Amino acid sequence: MTHKNNKIPFNEDNYTHNINRNNERKLDRRGFMKTLVGAAGVFAISSLPWGGVAAKELLGLGNKEYPHKKIVDIKSIPVGHSVDFKFPGEHDDAILIRLTETKYVAYQNACTHLRCPVFWEKEKGEMLCPCHHGKFDVDTGAPTAGPPRRPLPEIEVKIEKDAVYAVKVKRYEV
Amino acid sequence: MKCNFNFAALLVILMLNIVFTQKMVHQYYFENYVTAIIYCFLNLILFPIAILIYKQDQKKA
Repeated sequence: MTHKNNKIPFNEDNYTHNINRNNERKLDRRGFMKTLVGAAGVFAISSLPWGGVAAKELLGLGNKEYPHKKIVDIKSIPVGHSVDFKFPGEHDDAILIRLTETKYVAYQNACTHLRCPVFWEKEKGEMLCPCHHGKFDVDTGAPTAGPPRRPLPEIEVKIEKDAVYAVKVKRYEV
Repeated sequence: MKCNFNFAALLVILMLNIVFTQKMVHQYYFENYVTAIIYCFLNLILFPIAILIYKQDQKKA
């Protein structure tokens, strides 16, 4: 029974039994170095799009103006409350918070750590990302706790005819 | 073991690739686009360097 799988079932002279298959697929030094070079190639190719979009932003092609978008009527957002909206694109989540009678702040609310949505915690007066407990200052959007290191991009808002409008996404100060 | 210098050099290049990629992505989101392009360029020239090291190692063997 123990040698059942160890035997050539029948004496067949087909020139295959003398092939030594041991170590045939072992990764040797040369093979591993080849893998390292391949990895460098993958890194090089995958960094091309980043360079491309960065160059595009530098040339000013990404600076297009978005149409002002109505977020909400003033009477439907009480002081201390928040409302979610999309700006500038359909898939760019953002949040508007009414801090006082006249002060509104708006941020793109994808957490700058791993892009989870950030929520407004009214009782604690701070913005919280529930994924890894990143916290953001509500006045500036700057990270105050947890993994995120970059402030939330702020959205400029204006009040017009009893409604709040999103104007544009502010650039970081350089 | 023969010529482990080339081997180590390739490992260092892989390490640098990871570091530059991380820096590039972060600088892009910080909107420092020039810095992002510089890191992209560094990542690109690491590839030919890696090929050169590999060829050199092949010649020695």
